[in-house]
Amino acid sequence: MHSLGRAALAAMMIVGAATANAQITTVVASPPRKTEAAQQAAAQQRERVAQDSVARVAMTGMKEWVDSASAALAVRPDTVPTPADTALATPRAANAPAPKSDTSATARAERQSEFKNGARAPDTATPIPAIGLAGIVLILAGVAMKRRERTARVHARR
Amino acid sequence: MSRVTRQSHDARRAASSALIVCGALLLIGSATSVARGAIARDAARARWAEMEAERSAVRAKLSTGGARWSEARGTPVARVIIPRLGLDEVVVEGVGDDELRAGPGHMIGSVLPGDRGTSVISAHRDRHFHALGGIAVGDTVVTESASGTVVWTVSRIRVVGADDSALDARPTPTLMLTTCWPIRYVGPAPERLIVEAIPAR
Repeated sequence: MHSLGRAALAAMMIVGAATANAQITTVVASPPRKTEAAQQAAAQQRERVAQDSVARVAMTGMKEWVDSASAALAVRPDTVPTPADTALATPRAANAPAPKSDTSATARAERQSEFKNGARAPDTATPIPAIGLAGIVLILAGVAMKRRERTARVHARR
Repeated sequence: MSRVTRQSHDARRAASSALIVCGALLLIGSATSVARGAIARDAARARWAEMEAERSAVRAKLSTGGARWSEARGTPVARVIIPRLGLDEVVVEGVGDDELRAGPGHMIGSVLPGDRGTSVISAHRDRHFHALGGIAVGDTVVTESASGTVVWTVSRIRVVGADDSALDARPTPTLMLTTCWPIRYVGPAPERLIVEAIPAR
């Protein structure tokens, strides 16, 4: 029995020590040092990027493109667009679908509720009676269900 | 009681409570709408009484002869009485939801009762025009408005579809009372009852 206990203690110590070692004494290796050749290559790369004419040309070209585009559209922020160039000045407004008025449904309903020759009779239909009736039916169903459930519980107790 | 049975009982009890609560909410909602209508109706009646006092001023404001009447929505513009049916309602301008909650609505664009042309007055079948289901040809309708008091005789009663073009402009004074049909119907009624009346001789 004693030997069994000792063996168990030893096993626990070994397992515990292994776990503690894994958690506490883990060595974090430092990143490998770059060689001089690699450092030189990186410096050359940085220099090449700094002198890259393509990037500068692209930036310059972008500015010219923006200027030419605005000249072509004849949009100048300091001028008021004339009626003729309104479409150009506000292409989005011209091409975009007509803004949906939040009162379109209301306006349509109002048009329908105005009298003219051949008009429809006003919409006097109302769901209020149906809603009230549905409420009564739900309440009756709930009460009936409650009563049945109560009766069933009394029977179950007996 | 076993655990399963108890859970079943609890679920049924919860479901029944939910049904009762939902039903009560629906009832409260519809009752609130009716109560709001009653309050608006009382307000319209009170306003009409005030307007009767200043009738002469309103009459001066009117342009008669079939011209289009223009008044703010919800303003009382007339009173319609059908003695045989015990119907006596103040008519407000407009036939929108709010106006029809307050009382029968005068359709915008139609003339006032008594002017030359067609005057259209509409109301809900379950409220102000509930009695209209019992109207018959030959019944007397009385209207009061800024145009004066007019006695009408019902000349025609018809039932049309909700989308039918049933209202036409007439050159002579014509009163059209409209409501939903059938009068006793659960849900939005599919038809309209149109009662036409002409001035009594």
